[in-house]
Amino acid sequence: MHGARLVTPSMLVAFAIFGTLPFWITEIGLYRYLGVEILIWCIYALGFNLLMGYAGLPSFGHGAYFGIGAYACGLAQFELWANLWFCLAAGVVAAAVFGAVVAAFISHRRGIYFALMTIAFGQMFFFIASKWTSVTNGEDGLLNIARLPVELGFWNYPIRGNADFYWFVFACFVVCVVALWRLVNSPFGKVVQAIKQNEARMAFLGYRVALYKAVAFILSCAVAGFAGALFAMAQGGAFVQVMNLQWSGVIVLMVLIGGGFVSFWGPVLGTVLYFVARDLLGAYTEAWLLWFGLMFMAVVMFKPEGLAGIGQDALRKWRGLPRAPAAGWAWLRR
Amino acid sequence: MDLVGYLLPHLLNGIALGLLFALIALGFMLIIGVMEVINLAHGSLFALGAYAALALLAGEGGPRPELLGWFLQLPNVLRYALALVLAPLAVAVVGMGLEICLRRTYGKDPLYGLLLTFGAALVIEELIRLAWGPSERFLPVPAAITGGVAIGELIYSKYRFFASGFSILMIGLLWLFLEKTRYGALIKAGAHDSEMVRALGVNLPRLRTLVFGFGTALAAIAGIVMAPIWGIRPHVGVDAVVPAFVVIVLGGVGSFWGAVLAGLMVGMVVGLTGAFATDWSLISMYILLILVVTFRGRGLFGKKSILEA
Repeated sequence: MHGARLVTPSMLVAFAIFGTLPFWITEIGLYRYLGVEILIWCIYALGFNLLMGYAGLPSFGHGAYFGIGAYACGLAQFELWANLWFCLAAGVVAAAVFGAVVAAFISHRRGIYFALMTIAFGQMFFFIASKWTSVTNGEDGLLNIARLPVELGFWNYPIRGNADFYWFVFACFVVCVVALWRLVNSPFGKVVQAIKQNEARMAFLGYRVALYKAVAFILSCAVAGFAGALFAMAQGGAFVQVMNLQWSGVIVLMVLIGGGFVSFWGPVLGTVLYFVARDLLGAYTEAWLLWFGLMFMAVVMFKPEGLAGIGQDALRKWRGLPRAPAAGWAWLRR
Repeated sequence: MDLVGYLLPHLLNGIALGLLFALIALGFMLIIGVMEVINLAHGSLFALGAYAALALLAGEGGPRPELLGWFLQLPNVLRYALALVLAPLAVAVVGMGLEICLRRTYGKDPLYGLLLTFGAALVIEELIRLAWGPSERFLPVPAAITGGVAIGELIYSKYRFFASGFSILMIGLLWLFLEKTRYGALIKAGAHDSEMVRALGVNLPRLRTLVFGFGTALAAIAGIVMAPIWGIRPHVGVDAVVPAFVVIVLGGVGSFWGAVLAGLMVGMVVGLTGAFATDWSLISMYILLILVVTFRGRGLFGKKSILEA
């Protein structure tokens, strides 16, 4: 187990790839802003996988917390204090608070009942955001959210341009990856994973299962809110679309296609695949989501462990080890 | 105008809406019962039903509109009646295809079925966009069921009466089918314990395929009936599938009359809030759901089921 390590080899590989990305992304025909989008959605996806992959609790309304983070960031900037750290914190706190309220209602639910309730809450937040025009500006979105300068007291760094903003988002990504890696390997992370394996047994062992599930949900919401706040600054606005059912499903899709069930890095692979597919397929056909949807269906049918699962199988074969058993989802089987 | 006179049309709208929600939810619940799958593509199949009817009634869009030439010569009423049969059949075929894809997820976590149907929803919606374009369409209906009808002082849309009556008829027929026929008994037995049904020599894969087709056909029928009220857009399915979840969870998984009652409750709550604050009417059903489920974890008439493991 590399559980206790602060930095792992795969982390270094990921940081090396994303850290050098601005130097070669234009060479392969893509553009810098895509890198910003990918990193922000990677943060979102990694936080989501804490819930789906590690805690085994699928949320189909997670876009709501991403959107709440984005709106909170914008509103904090306009109404309270235009400071980068304050606005990001506002996004995190707002998403966590709303997440906590929802968790109070759903943390004792399991399986598909849990999924259905997350849909109901997600839709409710989506409708509120799209109708409460005096606060969210409705369908038009909250516009002109600025990319505030990084203030470190002794040194201020403006991040207006995409290149500078990329470095800031990259720093956030590094912090989130290390923090989430520590979290899933902490005693808390182990308990959450054990609850996924067998909830009843953990309850008999005396763990307060609903509390652990609630905390996992709230943390995941907080990360989504953080990503949402970054996204609001990246886009220069907060829009309601990310909160709808389809976008909430897209994050599930990214995490699953990448292999969030079997690997910490699954969400990152899935996010990269999604955005690259969007740009490459999108250049050829208007209906790229059709092909992406078909690919997703094929993954669920034939390789639910996703890209990371394929990679792990290949690695095992190369090392001459037997194939891994199919991802265990026994905790929901009777 | 007095309050009752003001609220009555909203209440009637709500009942019409609620009956249609119940119809969608019942198809959805048949699939949950026998397959233990939450069919997220239900809404897309609802939309596909409306679009298939659009192709049959207006000859608009669709892959090969010219093939429908002879059909478009038929009288309006006959065409509408035929569309109510043919479009759901076409959608049922798509649904059965989806069920065959779903077979690989049986015996695994129910979440995989949910994810697969989510992908299918995406695919169907994109296919609709390709075939019919992204813009809003309207389904023509025969003149006999358009216009208004006067009840005392109130003038109310004839079509909504038709929609309510038709939904009541369908719900009644479905109940008779489930309670009074051999196939209905098999479906209920399959929902109770599908392995035992298989052990008794029933062709379970075929039963599952047929039930899935049947459930999606109900969604398509609801889609056709709803189309003149809501209009048709490629993403109209979300507006149908989410209330269906709410109805199922509210009424309790596996309860026929629970779904009907919950459908009516949701419809009336949406209708009545619509009377006071149109913009907020769709939120009221979530508040209703949260209130009920907080006090009754399995909904109004729910029993313990696979869905909570």
